[in-house]
Amino acid sequence: MNNIINDMRDKARQLLAEGKVDVVIGYEKGSLPLKATPFFAHSPAEVDSLIWDETCENNLATYVAKTPGKKAIVAKGCDSRALAVLLQENQLVRDDLYIIGVSCAGVIDQRKIVAEVGEILEAGINDGKISVKGMAGDKEYLFAEVKDATCQTCRYPNPVLEDVHLGETIAVSQEAPAFADVIALEEKSAGERQDYFKEQMSKCIRCYACRNACPLCYCQECFVDCNSPRWLTGGVNRAENLFFQAGRVLHLAGRCVDCGACTRACPQGVDIRALNRKMTKDVYTMYNHEAGISEDGKPALNEYTTSDPEQFLVKE
Amino acid sequence: MKISKEKFGQAFDALVADYKVIAPVSDGSGIAFTEVKSFSDVKQDYLNSKLPPKAFFFPQHEKLMSYKKEGKDVTVKSELKVENTILFGIRPCDAKGMLLLDKVFKNDQYTDPYYYERREKAVIIGLGCTKIAPTCFCSSFEISPAGSEGSDLFLIDLGDSYEVEVVTEKGKALADRLALAELTADEQALVDKIKSAETPSKIDVSNTTSKLDKMFNSPYWDTLQEKCLGCNVCSFSCPTCHCFDISEEVCKNEGTRVRTWDACMAPLFTLHGSGHNPRDNKKARWRQRLMHKFNYFVHNNGSMSCVGCGRCIKSCPVNMDIRQVVDGANKAELVVE
Amino acid sequence: MQQNPYLPITMKLVKNLVETEDRLINTFTLEFMNKQDEENFKYMPGQFAELSAYGHGEAPFGIATSPTEPGILKFSVAKVGCVSNALHLMEEGTMVGVRGPMGNYYPIEQFKGKNVVIIGGGFAFTTLRSLAKYMLDDKHRGDYGDITVIYGARNPGLLLYKEELAEWENNPNINLVTTIDRPAEGWTKHVGFIPSITEQIAPSSVDTYAVVCGPPAMIKFTLPVLEKLNFPPERIYTSLEMRMKCGLGICGRCNIGTEYVCKDGPVFSMAQLKELPNEY
Repeated sequence: MNNIINDMRDKARQLLAEGKVDVVIGYEKGSLPLKATPFFAHSPAEVDSLIWDETCENNLATYVAKTPGKKAIVAKGCDSRALAVLLQENQLVRDDLYIIGVSCAGVIDQRKIVAEVGEILEAGINDGKISVKGMAGDKEYLFAEVKDATCQTCRYPNPVLEDVHLGETIAVSQEAPAFADVIALEEKSAGERQDYFKEQMSKCIRCYACRNACPLCYCQECFVDCNSPRWLTGGVNRAENLFFQAGRVLHLAGRCVDCGACTRACPQGVDIRALNRKMTKDVYTMYNHEAGISEDGKPALNEYTTSDPEQFLVKE
Repeated sequence: MKISKEKFGQAFDALVADYKVIAPVSDGSGIAFTEVKSFSDVKQDYLNSKLPPKAFFFPQHEKLMSYKKEGKDVTVKSELKVENTILFGIRPCDAKGMLLLDKVFKNDQYTDPYYYERREKAVIIGLGCTKIAPTCFCSSFEISPAGSEGSDLFLIDLGDSYEVEVVTEKGKALADRLALAELTADEQALVDKIKSAETPSKIDVSNTTSKLDKMFNSPYWDTLQEKCLGCNVCSFSCPTCHCFDISEEVCKNEGTRVRTWDACMAPLFTLHGSGHNPRDNKKARWRQRLMHKFNYFVHNNGSMSCVGCGRCIKSCPVNMDIRQVVDGANKAELVVE
Repeated sequence: MQQNPYLPITMKLVKNLVETEDRLINTFTLEFMNKQDEENFKYMPGQFAELSAYGHGEAPFGIATSPTEPGILKFSVAKVGCVSNALHLMEEGTMVGVRGPMGNYYPIEQFKGKNVVIIGGGFAFTTLRSLAKYMLDDKHRGDYGDITVIYGARNPGLLLYKEELAEWENNPNINLVTTIDRPAEGWTKHVGFIPSITEQIAPSSVDTYAVVCGPPAMIKFTLPVLEKLNFPPERIYTSLEMRMKCGLGICGRCNIGTEYVCKDGPVFSMAQLKELPNEY
């Protein structure tokens, strides 16, 4: 890890000093234990704040299109996939972008820890072990025990797109995407699923953190903000909340890279990913498409071929 | 004075008949202020709720009025409904937050009846903090974690009993229904100890307002806001944020006018019909957020509009920490204009 | 003001008049439904009201009538958003909602015994019309010195209140100067932008107040002219526009620094604006 951080700082320093980029977007240590925070280094003097570890949970691709000038970005597998989709959709100029790739074994699911030990007072990461001092007790975790749910099914720990790679790559054993979580939900009865989503949607406060954290939610005017026509009210109830979340999922069909940024951003702990994962599975089954696994190609629904399945159009 | 928890519980259950009683409840993913019917439903050991209790006076989405159109005619009806309410378990930061909201909803010219009538019919039973989270920094604003300001009746948890302080007339009316006893010397010592606690985390705001007077054009705002996602979490989770939108919900000939929480971080918040937007970038919006809380509000209402509850710190997806933001402003170099 | 400041009174749209030849501005004449409502709606030139087009929403507009015109309120509104579009399409006889009056007003008490120069551009002339009309009223005319109105639009068809302007042309109590941006057939009066016409007319700043309303560019270039004519910032007033919702200084969106335009404005002197952040 330390080598990666040193290499990262060196690379950032070099890029800024040589004027190749105006800003390097990475992470620095956050103000709370086990929290990293996005960091924008504008000068070589600032690069020593850059860090890299299992707390770097934000998807930095969300900043790229909104940051003017030439920029370098620290990208994990999922960040790079989001960049790939943005490039496919002509949202980014490749020449303005320098991708510092890092392989990522996953990020820590803080909520899991807080649920057990209370608010975290202190924490340290050492040799794959996370020791936490919490308000309700102390505990030591193996990284695998508190790995974010998204990262547990991740098949792209290595960037799919990069200009330089720091550190070693991670071997991927899983050949095809696995959707055990989706299948488990599908196997429930309609009533059970309805109950589950009712409960989830009743928690949403429509703060739009999920939308804003999502690297692929970049509409100039989001359908929820549009007032003529007004697609949905400001009502914060299950129906309106589901309409918002479902609308977002549909917009992300074939584009979602399953980075989990939405779910991690949610202050209310809504299982937003459950909907996205189902959509991801459907797109994979129907179109054999995974979003953003290379710079080429188009998102599944941006292309038409005569062999496209039509079961959603025609009821047989 | 004090009351045993058992006796307090009995009195609490009796109050449910006369009041809508709101108290902290564990909802699986945290603490939420919810209507309860019995003291046994109340979560007693908690830091604070995920969302501030302001929603009981200023709901996230509320009907202001309804109307019905018939041909060219229209009939309009107010939708103001008020109930006698008790809010139990309000932390000192949130109680102070309500005092600050009072200043907003009753200004030099207008009184907001929706907020005020509910506020006037509500009794706040505060509960002192005996545990302090790392994100708590209320002591920065002369709020004590076990201070009674803003509460009508104020309790401190002493284990098997509560120390009871009557703060206002409203509180006294409730206290009359409680069988209060004297504190022992040991209990008094414990109360004094709890009352003297401060939050370990504190920011220096002594010169912040006057510093901000000179910072409208500071380059500080240029980089401050870069990582902000521009979502509404900080505003919605803030006990003093009060901005709202008014819109209409229509079904055929009938409709309601509703108000919904809004936030200065939203680009549409200030967008004119003409397309002009005086705060059309995140920099301007962050400046507004900080200025409003630590400068404009002070000039208009005599105090800062932050109570150090730490919710915005805890819930920010990118770890924007208001303590660091204020600290950064305190330290920012001034540009000569 | 009503008990509940969020509840509008009901008024009848008695006239929906297409005001300009581009058909983008209509003037709505609203009639009070009863004496009590009218009694409660005591207003002064410069104030605004929130108009409700039921089914569409509510938006703030400056009041174009003067309190000296009883029984009615007039609003001249450009078709820009959801509410203004709905109002434009509204049939005469329809009931609309009105909340107000809101905001402060032109400092007519200070104007007493002084000359007043009113400078307006485009459809921002509405509350200026209210002001002129108020000062021209028989009861008030004696309180003021010379009244000069400099009013311009892109072309003759875009001037508001054409009949009234024609009447003011021949009224010895007011000195009206109208101008259009470019020459047009049949137009015999001034041609040129407001700032240069103001410079040409060169109203004296001695014992004189100026009130300027119009598009931002017009204001930007007119202010230096007034400065050159020695108008101090304390004697130049303008009225600001902002996105507003509650109109009561509560909902939080219309502030410029510490001031809420809905409650502390919309009328500000240039001296006041100089003290506020440049964010409007």
